[in-house]
Amino acid sequence: MMGDGIQVKIGDELPPFSRKGTLEHWNRFAAVNYEFAPHHWDVDVAKAEGFDAPFSMAPLQLAFFHAMLRDWMKENGRIVSVSAKLRGPFFKDQTLTAGGHVTAITPGEEETMVNLELTQTDETGRSIAVGTAQIALHQQGTNTGVA
Amino acid sequence: MAESWVTEDMQDIVGAVMRESISHPVSVSDIRKWAIAVYYPETPPRNFWDEAFAARTKYRGIVAPEEFNPFAWSTQQPSLTDPKVSQTAFSERELGVRPPDFKAILLTEIRERYGPTRIRPGDVIRSTVRISEYFEREGRMGHMLYTTLANEWHNQAGEWVRTTESVFVRY
Repeated sequence: MMGDGIQVKIGDELPPFSRKGTLEHWNRFAAVNYEFAPHHWDVDVAKAEGFDAPFSMAPLQLAFFHAMLRDWMKENGRIVSVSAKLRGPFFKDQTLTAGGHVTAITPGEEETMVNLELTQTDETGRSIAVGTAQIALHQQGTNTGVA
Repeated sequence: MAESWVTEDMQDIVGAVMRESISHPVSVSDIRKWAIAVYYPETPPRNFWDEAFAARTKYRGIVAPEEFNPFAWSTQQPSLTDPKVSQTAFSERELGVRPPDFKAILLTEIRERYGPTRIRPGDVIRSTVRISEYFEREGRMGHMLYTTLANEWHNQAGEWVRTTESVFVRY
């Protein structure tokens, strides 16, 4: 096992996960997800649909939440659920920062369930997405601080 | 509230299987490319691309990132010669029902649930998609029709891997 163990308590903040919105990145995701809707890269199409600029794919934004959770828990657990509600577009050339904090901890016999609230904002603080997640931490790698 | 866009024919297909797909066997290369695309421009975690490293992890080998999509580009079913249906979109026409006219369709919410079984190289994933709900609201773009799609994935052993609920808005 390569897990280093993890200490968790309610209110803990996850290390943020940030990416700039670039076509170089989005093209790569479009290629692996077969996702070529023109509003992700064509400014005229985006404007015709009511947006100021091309914007990211929702599944990529959801992947950012997953990446942040994986970076945080490493080998100490597994993702049980992740949800994201999109509040506003993640426009090209903006920088998205995903964050999260622990809201509940429920110890079990084999796994400790940890609930989190998640956010995505741009560099101005505008909300791009909100979400929730639940992860299951393996008992041997967990110190929840729960008596 | 504007007149509903949800016809009786649309209501009748709620819960019906809209689409069943079977992936090709997942390859290590598929997983590597997905991880590279998500983590770009940084290097993705080693367990998604280095087989020797991954063999020493708790999964004893490479597993796919949870959000990995094995249905992009091509599937065993439907085959390439069948009418192309994007896995990231949908239409009631797949069940022979005329959809409402709309200017744009956007994915506005995604809810993922995962089983303990991860997707590994060689796995063949079966996807079953249903429309689970319609609801309507007035919004910034006018009358907006929301449609929730439920997509259940199982592997070749019948193990539940993942359920995705995607909420699309049309206006």
